[in-house]
Amino acid sequence: MATEIFDKINAIIEEIESARPAGLEELETFRIKYLGSKNVLKPLSGEIRNIPNERKKDFGLLINKAKQTAEQKYKALEFDLQTAEESQSAANLDLTAPGEPIELGARHPIALTMNRIINIFERIGFVVAEEREIEDDWHNFTAMNTPEDHPARDMQDTFYLKDSTTMLLRTHTSPVQARVMTRQQPPIRIIAPGRVYRNETISARSHCQFHQVEGLYVDENVSFADMKQTLLYFAREMFGPDVKIRLRPSFFPFTEPSAEMDVYLGTETEKDYRLTKGTGWLEILGCGMVDPQVLENCGIDPEKYTGFAFGMGIERQALRLYDIADIRAFFENDVRFLKQFTSVM
Amino acid sequence: MKVSLNWLKEYIDLNQSPEKVGEILTSIGLEVEGMEEVESIKGGMRGIVIGFVKECGRHPNADRLSVTKVDIGQGEDLQVVCGANNIAAGQKVLVATVGTTLYSAEGEAWTIKKGKIRGETSEGMICSEDEVGLGDDHSGIVVLPESAPVGTAAGDYYEIETDYVYEIGLTPNRSDATNHIGVARDLAAYLKINENNTSEIHLPSTESFQVDNHDLALDVVVENEEACPRYSAVSIKGITVKESPEWLKKRLKAIGVRPISNIVDITNFILHELGQPLHAFDQDKIKGNKVIVKTLPSGSSFVTLDEVERKLSDEDLMICNGASEGMCIGGVFGGIGSGVTDNTKNIFLEAAHFNAKWIRRSSMRHNLRTDAAKVFEKGSDPNLTVYALKRAALLIQELAGGEIASEITDLYPRPIQAAEVRVRYARINKLIGENIPAATVKSILDALDMDILEESDTELKITIPTNKADVIREVDVIEEILRIYGFNKVPIPAYIQSAISVGSYPDANDVRNNLGNYLAGNGFNEMMALSLSESRYYTELATNLMDADNLVYVNNTSNVQLDIMRPNMLISGLEAILHNQNRQQTNIKLFEFGRTYQYGSDKEIVEVDRLSVFLCGDRYGESWLDHGKKRTSDFYTLKAYVHHILQKVGLEGYQSSPAEAPAFAYGMKYHRGPQMIAEFGKVQPGILKHLDIKGEVFYAQFNWKALMKAASKNVVSVTELNKYPATSRDLALVIDNSVKFDDIAAIANKVGKKLIKNINLFDIYENEAQLGEGKKSYAVSFTFEDFTKTLSVKEVDKVMNRLISEYEQKLNANIRR
Repeated sequence: MATEIFDKINAIIEEIESARPAGLEELETFRIKYLGSKNVLKPLSGEIRNIPNERKKDFGLLINKAKQTAEQKYKALEFDLQTAEESQSAANLDLTAPGEPIELGARHPIALTMNRIINIFERIGFVVAEEREIEDDWHNFTAMNTPEDHPARDMQDTFYLKDSTTMLLRTHTSPVQARVMTRQQPPIRIIAPGRVYRNETISARSHCQFHQVEGLYVDENVSFADMKQTLLYFAREMFGPDVKIRLRPSFFPFTEPSAEMDVYLGTETEKDYRLTKGTGWLEILGCGMVDPQVLENCGIDPEKYTGFAFGMGIERQALRLYDIADIRAFFENDVRFLKQFTSVM
Repeated sequence: MKVSLNWLKEYIDLNQSPEKVGEILTSIGLEVEGMEEVESIKGGMRGIVIGFVKECGRHPNADRLSVTKVDIGQGEDLQVVCGANNIAAGQKVLVATVGTTLYSAEGEAWTIKKGKIRGETSEGMICSEDEVGLGDDHSGIVVLPESAPVGTAAGDYYEIETDYVYEIGLTPNRSDATNHIGVARDLAAYLKINENNTSEIHLPSTESFQVDNHDLALDVVVENEEACPRYSAVSIKGITVKESPEWLKKRLKAIGVRPISNIVDITNFILHELGQPLHAFDQDKIKGNKVIVKTLPSGSSFVTLDEVERKLSDEDLMICNGASEGMCIGGVFGGIGSGVTDNTKNIFLEAAHFNAKWIRRSSMRHNLRTDAAKVFEKGSDPNLTVYALKRAALLIQELAGGEIASEITDLYPRPIQAAEVRVRYARINKLIGENIPAATVKSILDALDMDILEESDTELKITIPTNKADVIREVDVIEEILRIYGFNKVPIPAYIQSAISVGSYPDANDVRNNLGNYLAGNGFNEMMALSLSESRYYTELATNLMDADNLVYVNNTSNVQLDIMRPNMLISGLEAILHNQNRQQTNIKLFEFGRTYQYGSDKEIVEVDRLSVFLCGDRYGESWLDHGKKRTSDFYTLKAYVHHILQKVGLEGYQSSPAEAPAFAYGMKYHRGPQMIAEFGKVQPGILKHLDIKGEVFYAQFNWKALMKAASKNVVSVTELNKYPATSRDLALVIDNSVKFDDIAAIANKVGKKLIKNINLFDIYENEAQLGEGKKSYAVSFTFEDFTKTLSVKEVDKVMNRLISEYEQKLNANIRR
């Protein structure tokens, strides 16, 4: 009798192991049969009282084995069957159909370029300063050592406000220098991004409005060599770690000595050849040591303090970075143009 | 400014390549913006040789063509078909060989090929004047004299000169380099320091100048010595005005100056050689045999050489005759009727030093930006006039004949001395950041013709040549030293020395980036519009468009329609929307960080930074997911973004009221007392119609200052998370159309006090038949939470019952059950 029961249970275990339910429905039948509240093992486990004592332990173990086998088998079967079912329904999905049409916008190329430049200088301790765009003659010209009648005023065609000979749209970001220096004694270490204006006809190559970034560092013992260092760092951040720079003597009324800085791009690619007009050198900014007269105009002692300043156009950098052919595209706001900058960091 | 390399070589020995010379010029501050190879004849007649026509016979198949055998000195004769009438055997001619490039009258290049003309082989072309660039004649081939050597390159025969011309972007501080000798001097200084080349500049000699007689002696009076510190002149008698010789024309043509006649050409030559503007008057036309340098009363009329009648200012310095009639705006432009003509016999030649400011003002006033004015306004060398006069007089005698018929008049009451400047070595080193040895400093100064007057271990006292008007201070001298020493030689320190500057938190640019990236992440494209706008928007529109008062007008001569600074961001955005709609882009989401400009109450200019947001068209594109149904952007779409932006800067606790700006058809305004935070709503259809914009546009504008203020004060303090579950209840309220959600929320906030954490409107139902006229049904959910315990049904019911009775009493609401 006892052996019979043992055989029965073993047969059930075999049955469980060999079960192959065809679908989730048959699996449920399996579950009810072996794991349900009225499962086939239940009446058998009640037979324990008829088992001789010395075999009671084996019996218990066997019953347990049967239960565990059923549980494990069920989990394994459930996973397999669900996976099979899921992949069957997945086969009917068109995963290539478009996703929800949630749109992604973009920042403006000028903002992107400006940010990139600002970040470079902020990393070495420059702080952003912003000032007014409608300036007076003094901050835009006089303080910046460009008195009336100076031929340097020819270099920029100025928008004056109607019926005014003193109020104007700033022609460069340099008046920020004057604003900050008249307010604060050195050390001064600022970067001033902003919009500037020139009374020029709008064309593919020039505009009446554009953006500049101005930098200024005034302190005791700031030298031309320090300026070169900062600008070399900038050039390498902007153009690559191995880039070479060159300074050409130039003229700005507010710096002395004054220079223009070129970076060497080479002429290997068609683009570099075109950008550098075949010279390999691309002009990117103007710079120089702050003219002692400017310091004096702003109430800073030029014997004690020296400084350097630099300024660059943003549009020109953006044109180059993004292969833009026409400067007007920046301000037309055609979404087909604007959308092209989604991937710029 | 154009500089010819061949011309430079008259004063300085240069063996560097033209490219290298260009690099040097750039490195010393004379930026070469372009270099051009210039030939006195275009193409340099390359490939053209002198040939001898051995045989000339009729073309068998064409009456008007000849077939020739031409010896070009290369052994085998060429067969050339020629169409000219004047071709004959025995002539010396110009033969363009196969491969030669010729230029058409229009400047187009074409190449000679070997080919057959009507069946006869032709191995070149016998050329006419115009075909090779010698002249305009096309009537027949050029027939050279017997003596022309066969086989010689035509370029050699015609002594064609190849020159290189630099376009130099001359900066306003380089009064010394407006001319070829000045450029040569600077080159010499560079070569002396950097290439150990000590050769000196060759200055043209004027030793042979001598006064022949005093037949044309004339009185000169300078009444205005401020405007004219020096006036020098000489008279020359019996000249012949004619064409200049080739060498002179070549020099002028190379730098883009059109040759006119020998006298005019010489004055131009001297200007570009020495940087001293000259003016030649026909002395026979000088009334009263007297020259007076003075101003004329304002409003006096004067006809300049370009036949334009100009009204003079009493600040235009005039060169007048004895009758006080203007002959020339001094240093700027000559008058009609006083200058040199083809019949001029006697000339009065002026070389003056005018005040730079006076010249600049006159030049700008009359828009006469002449070469002379540009030189004078940079500051000409006051000590050059007599030398220039002698040089010019000698050239005139050489090219136009004549006798020097007066002494040189030289009115120079207060001679301008070379400036003296103290230069400290310590200052040089401090400014440059490198210790340049004293010996190097001194040799650079010497190379720049700056003489050392006194010196000590620590400093120098030097004189500055009077041709450097802009070098007056120590720092200017340091620049001169560094310019020749080499900007690029200064070493770059390995470590950065920097003061520490402290910014304010949060940085405005960071906030802009944060909000900008949020909006871009939500499908908005950042736009940038012009700050300049058109006043017509504010004068034409029937509706009183926002901000039409206190416009800031700009004197815009380049783009006349852009005559104001924009007083708001709206029009800019609408312009962008229109631009896009016209290009089939109809679903538009834009934002802009920008400024607006208006006069304030005290006539001061107020610049306000703003953020604007625009929505127009569909929220999203069509999708299969929604079965092609679209949802257009509306007020509530915009409102969500407005709230997000305020949330992002932590701005809460503001008041709300209906939008005030007339540009809104409807909208809301968030503010704190008088300070505007944001205003948003639907743009008046009338404005859109006027601008031709289709559909509806929703617009929000934020006051940047308010956003920044909130961002700077924003403190995030984390509240403990509630351990007890939340529970929610819904109500359907039938209310009058005039009741607003805010009214419902306000009551809930008051009644629910601490327990109601959220009130949401999840449906609006409108059905007159069912609800009655003027009624609507709001489905509102209330979320209850207590931080101290799990709320019982009883407690929630109690609040709900109070709410219901409040709604019934205060809002006359009917609760749908």
